[in-house]
Amino acid sequence: MNCNETVPLLPTFGDGELDPMQSAAVEKHLLGCVECAAQRDEHVALGARIKRDVPYFPAPPSLRSRIDAALADRRTVTRAQPIRDRWRWLGTGALAGCMATVLAWVVGSSVIEWRDGTDLATEAVADHVRATLSNHLTDVATSDRHTVKPWLSARLDYSPPVQDLSGEGFPLTGGRLDYLGRRPVATLVYRYREHVIDVFVRPGSESAARSAQLPQVSTVRGFNVVRTSGSGMDWVAVSDASPEVLTAFVARLARGDAPP
Amino acid sequence: MPDGLSRSRCAELVLPHLNSAYNLARWLSRNDADAEDIVQDALERALKYAASLQGTNAKAWFLTIVRHACYDWMGRNRPAELMRGDGTEAIDDAVDSRPTPEESAIAEADAQALVQAIAALPVGFREVLLLREQEDMSYRDIARVVDIPIGTVMSRLARARGLLRQSPLLHAVLPQSMRTVAK
Repeated sequence: MNCNETVPLLPTFGDGELDPMQSAAVEKHLLGCVECAAQRDEHVALGARIKRDVPYFPAPPSLRSRIDAALADRRTVTRAQPIRDRWRWLGTGALAGCMATVLAWVVGSSVIEWRDGTDLATEAVADHVRATLSNHLTDVATSDRHTVKPWLSARLDYSPPVQDLSGEGFPLTGGRLDYLGRRPVATLVYRYREHVIDVFVRPGSESAARSAQLPQVSTVRGFNVVRTSGSGMDWVAVSDASPEVLTAFVARLARGDAPP
Repeated sequence: MPDGLSRSRCAELVLPHLNSAYNLARWLSRNDADAEDIVQDALERALKYAASLQGTNAKAWFLTIVRHACYDWMGRNRPAELMRGDGTEAIDDAVDSRPTPEESAIAEADAQALVQAIAALPVGFREVLLLREQEDMSYRDIARVVDIPIGTVMSRLARARGLLRQSPLLHAVLPQSMRTVAK
């Protein structure tokens, strides 16, 4: 490893975030290179100065007593709370139920008119457009896959794999339920730069399992749709991002191995 | 209601990180009283959404909420600062309060200069730098709290450190520390 390769890695090296191989290579170079070692020392010195000179503000006693008071207060109120909560749940449940019925009827009746194959793409795009138009991209908005997955499995008869690929530039923004191919499906919502990517996940059909599919790319009304299978699921991604990006992304999801 | 933690269990998991929460709020708001309000608000939100705390990392989860509470507070009180949150256009501001050479020469002023330089960083850089240097959080956890990709964590850290090095507030300081280390 030479200086040009080492210098950009120094901050990450100092933060202990290089993988062991790279880390060993940097260490080896630093042993023999005074300039790079001096730069490393500069990084270390800055970190040490911040730790030493920049004040750390611990929570003051006044805040702790405020919080203790608030928690004690809450404990006495909790008995009254659940009843109100239950009514709120009933209300939203009823509303969601009505909406789901109407949606199911609208989607269901139009589904009958479509043929298989391409209509899945058309349908997926329709779901995507409906979500973006109504500005209701997510039912559960969080970048935490450990929140999205249980939320979805609680509402479906299968548990979709949920991965956070923010490290690769595709942060997870949430999940929602959609209706696709005449059944409810999990929709994972990702972002890639300014693009929204909807990924519909449903248990793989047998035909899909038999023919280990290559990703199928199609375009519907300007949206790119990529279909593939993997990890026992069918994956349909819809976005206005470029087909290359989308294909690679879906293949990555379908492959399913967790990022290192 | 989905499976999740009870509020009391959530409070147990979150309260050990109260110092980290207050420190973050204090550095983002730069004000004692406001930081207290923000943390209390964040704690109430945390208890309300206790059910969504399912992973093991309560610190990152709680700091995410604290940061949201900070940004909401800034949105109400200092929208101008938010608008340049992670922008590069604020670099001029960051180096604006240029001390005279005489001031810089005073050794006791060094620590103060570093604090000022960090306080002057655009908020998007400041939060990433402090989560890394003060909380020793991994890139992965920082990415989660700030809701950006890990690559962006790295580039913001690099920019933040670069801005500190360039800052004339610190010119009298860093070469000196380099010299002591190089000896």
